[in-house]
Amino acid sequence: MRGVHVGLAGLIIAVFLIAWLEMKPALEDFDPVRHAAFKDTWNKRVHLAYWEKWGSFEADACQKMVDTFNESQGEIFVHYLRTSQVDRKAMLAAVGRDPPDVVGLWNANVVPFAEGGALMPLEGLMKQSGLTRDFYIENYLKLGEFEGHIWCLPTSVMTMALFYNKEHFRNKAAELRAAGLDPDRAPETIEELDRYADVLNEFEPDGSPRLMGFLPTEPGWFNHTWGYYFGGKLIDPETGKITTDEPANIRAYTWIKHYAETYGREKLLRFRSGFGTFDSPYNAFIEGKVAMEVQGVWFPMFIRRHKPQMEFGVAPFPCAAGVPGPRSVMEQDVIGIPRHCKHPAEAWKFVLWVQREGIAILSRLQGKNIAIRNPPAWFHQGHPNLELEVFERLALAPQSFIVPNTLVGQEYRDEMNRAFEHIWNWPVELEKKSALEGLTGAARQAKIQALCREEVATTLAQARQEIQARLDSKIERRRLQKRSAD
Amino acid sequence: MAGLRRDATGYAFILPWLVALALFIGWPFLAGFYFSFCDYPPLKSPAFIGLANYAELAGDAKFQRSLGVTLLFAAVAIPLGVVLALTLAMFLNARIRGQPFYRVIYYIPHLVPTVAVAILWLWIFNPKFGLLNIVLAGLASAADWFTALYFNLMAAVHGHNFLRPASGALAVSGALGAMALTLMAGKAFRERRAVRRCLMSIAVATLVVAAAAGLYAVLHWLLPVDMRSLHSPGWLADGNPLPSFASFAPSWALWALIVMSMWGVGQMAVIYLAKLQDVPAELYEAADIDGANWLQKTWQITIPMISPVILFNVVMAIIGTFQVFTEPYIMTGGGPEDKTRFIAMFIYDETFQYHRVGYASAVAWVLFLLIVALTILAFKISQKRVYYAGR
Repeated sequence: MRGVHVGLAGLIIAVFLIAWLEMKPALEDFDPVRHAAFKDTWNKRVHLAYWEKWGSFEADACQKMVDTFNESQGEIFVHYLRTSQVDRKAMLAAVGRDPPDVVGLWNANVVPFAEGGALMPLEGLMKQSGLTRDFYIENYLKLGEFEGHIWCLPTSVMTMALFYNKEHFRNKAAELRAAGLDPDRAPETIEELDRYADVLNEFEPDGSPRLMGFLPTEPGWFNHTWGYYFGGKLIDPETGKITTDEPANIRAYTWIKHYAETYGREKLLRFRSGFGTFDSPYNAFIEGKVAMEVQGVWFPMFIRRHKPQMEFGVAPFPCAAGVPGPRSVMEQDVIGIPRHCKHPAEAWKFVLWVQREGIAILSRLQGKNIAIRNPPAWFHQGHPNLELEVFERLALAPQSFIVPNTLVGQEYRDEMNRAFEHIWNWPVELEKKSALEGLTGAARQAKIQALCREEVATTLAQARQEIQARLDSKIERRRLQKRSAD
Repeated sequence: MAGLRRDATGYAFILPWLVALALFIGWPFLAGFYFSFCDYPPLKSPAFIGLANYAELAGDAKFQRSLGVTLLFAAVAIPLGVVLALTLAMFLNARIRGQPFYRVIYYIPHLVPTVAVAILWLWIFNPKFGLLNIVLAGLASAADWFTALYFNLMAAVHGHNFLRPASGALAVSGALGAMALTLMAGKAFRERRAVRRCLMSIAVATLVVAAAAGLYAVLHWLLPVDMRSLHSPGWLADGNPLPSFASFAPSWALWALIVMSMWGVGQMAVIYLAKLQDVPAELYEAADIDGANWLQKTWQITIPMISPVILFNVVMAIIGTFQVFTEPYIMTGGGPEDKTRFIAMFIYDETFQYHRVGYASAVAWVLFLLIVALTILAFKISQKRVYYAGR
């Protein structure tokens, strides 16, 4: 029996010894190969942990930005730690009171992080450093704001436009002209987009698509923003109420539904299942299965990476007739300083440098437009995105929009995705469809939209109720939290 | 003193497990109960709000949808899994050559990591290139042949288009049938056992296929929408119910996950198999003497004797079903239209997407109580049905 006791006790001691002796890697560990250039100043520098996303060439761009900062001075060394699901990991780190010094998030994370007190407000530091609002394009700065404070600053921006395959346009030039359309330019209204798409479509003998002129399901990342191109909005700026089912939004989603019904929901489903992932040569647009697609400023870099010879054009995504444009949804990646980080002063020095110099390096190497008003002259020289001018124009366009930061940003997005899926998938009864027999073109489209309008309106109304209920609940809980804290 | 020492030694052996249980299960369990009465964004301290989370649950449409999906999945997948595993175990219990090989083969899928299985089934369910739809397309073509036959017969009654499109296939099958009949009437069929067996096997197989295809053809006539979909279903991307006339029925996407859940049925079958081999042979011998047939022996002897294991498997399946997460998270992300958003995914989203730890804790506790209730129900129902030989 004594042997058993000795064995158990020995096991416990061994476990604790191993845990104690384990050498945890530290930021300050010097790597003689990677850090050779910094050998002399290594021990004198403050080492900052910078958690940030990105992969492939976009990660290289971020690394280049950080390397430039590290080489530019001898006081701070920033370690760029590539982190997947950076928002969730940063949240857990903040809960555990062991956050990184600098964190790269998405603008959708600003509200939950700011509301939970996980970020430092930056407006005071900005004022001290002479960084003013007019340094930025206003909408991009707004994306880092919540309740009167600036919590995050821009790094990498997102502006959306219509990409069109020039080869497809050229192949169908005669048909486009016959339909009264110009094959040398992109559509300028939603109605024109439909007409272009109609001519560009190609089908197999059994009616299944071979090439679709336009598909509103691709890439499917911004299903909540379609209403804006029809003059709609998601939140009433006056009352703060959810406006998912206002008439312009109903019109937008009815327009989307007509694509599913006109070309066959099931046929499109099979067609889409043959699409590859975004960053691959089998991307629907890159492979040539979809002739026009709404995509972001980053897309030209990916097209040239997978199909360098592809001929494509970029234009503002069209708005419905009568709706002023051009316009684009604006979102972005942001950078912030977590509360309770180890080196807040040094972290601000890095963030400030990123805003003044680093952001230009990052945006240029990632092939994107930039969030600041007056980038350095070299930013445009040899910029890899040849379509940059369109995105810069869109970023400054007065009609371009941001989805306002609210307490239910993520919930809103998810609920609108669900509504979009329901609207797209919901089958119109066969009896109703018989009313379409004999109709073609605009008359058929109008009839389809009339058949679907009620279901679309009901779906959006349900979405509004659910999102509003969530928002009301969050507001009430904040009140309770505040009372509890008092 | 010796007894005390013996007890102390026993407790010392289980101490590491007890400590881990208390720290990693007991503490979160109790903390979760407290948090369920709090508003708790992870970045703030929990604030007590009484029953507000539970009150909100009652009116939360998204929660109700998730609960509905989970219950629907449980209602279909558990009975199906139990029946399939039991059938498989009975086959594996048969005294045939290569029995250990078959047992290993049917158990192996259970060893494959869940993520790998999910990715594999993503490809199987691909509407365009998926293996399942390729097979279904073949079956659908065969069924279309029967449907065409049906419609042509109907047309023939009205004097139109008599069997013309199906005449070639009908002639071939007629010729084969006649040949089989001739052979069955011949000397070789009567005198040679191998030939008899072979022809009988072909006849049974043909009957089964014909019955299945016939049923399909009738369904094709009854449910044209669903049958057309069956030619090439959208599976994971299709949120519409199957059958289409029942709005409460599982969606195509949920059916896909139900079919996929049968992948791991081999593990359940192995447990049944262990118990099946424990059934005393003399019971079957006595039944043989009494002239019982296979069905009677199965119903009167096998099922009662293995009933404790059936109960065990059902309870484990109930618990497992309410914890389904990885497969839908990877394969559908809860879509389309939340039709595969299981309750475990709902809890995850509330915690990590919407930062509502208190609300998620309330859902987790409702889920816990539901599992306990269903387990008690299973035990209650089984009290008169489960036979314990030891009692």
